[in-house]
Amino acid sequence: MKNLIPLLALLFIAGCSSGGETNSATSTTGTTPPVASGDKPLVVFSQANSQDPWRKVFDASTKAEADKHAAEFSYETQDASGKSETQNNMIETFLIKNPKVMLVSPNDLSVTKAVETAFDKGVQVILLDRDIEGEKYNYYIGGDNTEIGRQAGKYVGEKLNGKGTVLMIQGIANVTATQNRRDGFMESLKAFPGIKVILGDDCGFQRQKARAYMESFLQKNEAIDCVYGHNDEMAIGARLAWDAAHPTGKAPMFVGVDGCQKEVVDMIKAGKMDATFQYPTPGAMGIQVASDLLKGNKPKERRIILPTVLVDKASADKYLADNPNLAN
Amino acid sequence: MRTLAQQRSWISIFQKYQGLVGLVVLLIGAALTVRDTFFSPANFANILNQLAVPGLLAVGMTFVILTGGIDLSVGSLIGLLNCVCATWLVAGKSTPITIIFILALGTGIGAIIGGLISVSKMQPFVVTLAAMVSLRGIAYVYTNNGTVSGLGSKLDFLIAPRFGLPTNAWIMVFVTIVASVILWLTVFGRHVYAVGGNAQSARYAGINLTKTRIGAYAINGLCVAIASLIFTARNTNGAPDAGGGFELDAITAVVVGGTALIGGYGNIVGTFLGALFIVCLNVLLILKGVNTYVGMGWKGIVILVAVYLQSIGRNQDS
Repeated sequence: MKNLIPLLALLFIAGCSSGGETNSATSTTGTTPPVASGDKPLVVFSQANSQDPWRKVFDASTKAEADKHAAEFSYETQDASGKSETQNNMIETFLIKNPKVMLVSPNDLSVTKAVETAFDKGVQVILLDRDIEGEKYNYYIGGDNTEIGRQAGKYVGEKLNGKGTVLMIQGIANVTATQNRRDGFMESLKAFPGIKVILGDDCGFQRQKARAYMESFLQKNEAIDCVYGHNDEMAIGARLAWDAAHPTGKAPMFVGVDGCQKEVVDMIKAGKMDATFQYPTPGAMGIQVASDLLKGNKPKERRIILPTVLVDKASADKYLADNPNLAN
Repeated sequence: MRTLAQQRSWISIFQKYQGLVGLVVLLIGAALTVRDTFFSPANFANILNQLAVPGLLAVGMTFVILTGGIDLSVGSLIGLLNCVCATWLVAGKSTPITIIFILALGTGIGAIIGGLISVSKMQPFVVTLAAMVSLRGIAYVYTNNGTVSGLGSKLDFLIAPRFGLPTNAWIMVFVTIVASVILWLTVFGRHVYAVGGNAQSARYAGINLTKTRIGAYAINGLCVAIASLIFTARNTNGAPDAGGGFELDAITAVVVGGTALIGGYGNIVGTFLGALFIVCLNVLLILKGVNTYVGMGWKGIVILVAVYLQSIGRNQDS
């Protein structure tokens, strides 16, 4: 029996250094070749993770924009695979290379101190998508999750004609995106007192968790008229569970957030999903701001808020044409 | 001139630690490719800063693994202690009292886990797996699914530079030295090796297995607690998902450092070098601009090679 322990542990370690992920991620994120920088200034980007489709689109659009500016500055990116401690270490290590501009998409508030260190050293810090605690950063670029929640709530309220039951499938509980997408939604629904909302579980923004949750939920046989997922992946997971349980008959509405996958747009076109609200990726704008800063042009606004776009059956084709970088 | 016997002993020491020598050579070789940034004083402090938390966890884990056990719960425990520590400080409790409480709590939870393993005779893997799940759950319940922020600079003294190095690096070095002394020079330390080497004969020799195991897990818990304080100081908040996967980093450092997972063989110096190796590897990958996931793939291979080198050394030793 004793031999089992090292064996299992080795398996665990092998799993942790996961070779499987390597392939899928390289194709989308790509390695940054160590550029012989010469005298070009350095722009670095510390990404929180590249594991979900939204982040992949985020990475791809950032990279595409950075390539356009390759003559102005060298660009390096690293991804913390969703671990704050990794991101702290990464930011501190980046500082050794004396970057001029640092783009950071914080994993969570735990990276505040490292970002502050960079700011205090005089690096121009541009936060992407998520905030840190306090004011030690230069610019923030991101979407407005509360506004997205509000628009989703208004859309659902109107489509349901003010009565019905909504199941809300929730993202990671301690993330502001989850809280804002929920609170904005609830705020809009105050105008529709006939609508009841069931606050579903934390499904971690993951398709398989949402599917498993929905499968259990459907066992209760509660009538629902709409499923609102805090992201598309969870809305899709819930839809898959619904289809498995109800191969025929009328389905409730399915509404998601993010609009970063071609799959979702295709599902909207096929009538499997009703709508999604784009959560815009801030990377390309981040690179533009970095380029401007290096030229000495400061953006007017300290906080740049990117607007959302409603994607439904009517606007799906236009959306696909406008957004060539969507994930598959 | 050295005598022949002295030269032999040098050779045997080299053979014993050839894995570690290999690590150092490998690392220096790789680091030379980015020597302008890697060998700078700023990066030296940077590496030691990053080493503190995984290093402390690895030191604690060494005790546990030497007894033939394993502890999968350290990641969850650091998360829980991180939340408790942040909550107490935000609530306005005094810093020394919070620190003492966290150290006691970590040691206590470690001792309980050790006690459960000794009494229930269940596999340490299973018991600590259960603890990993439960402690993580408790952290979420304790913080009500939220992040605890607003800590300010109350723990900054733990990471402030002192005598040229960050305080957390000094703490790490101090704990490493104390742990080495405990393992090599105390009766308890020798018992730890004996229990891991052969529990049956250790028992016949009159060693109290239960006490030794509880002691090892309690020391591990204490190390986790110290690490959690540094972790909290660096992150300035409490997050219920903090420390996920840290147990594997700690185990990796221990095995890379040459400690046998079946117990009874290994030492703290090896663990320290193992942890240092992993941190240097991480820093190198960032400095060289290697994609994180490509880096992970390489890291796995490098770890495998490092452990293989260590096992050759171990076989020659025995």
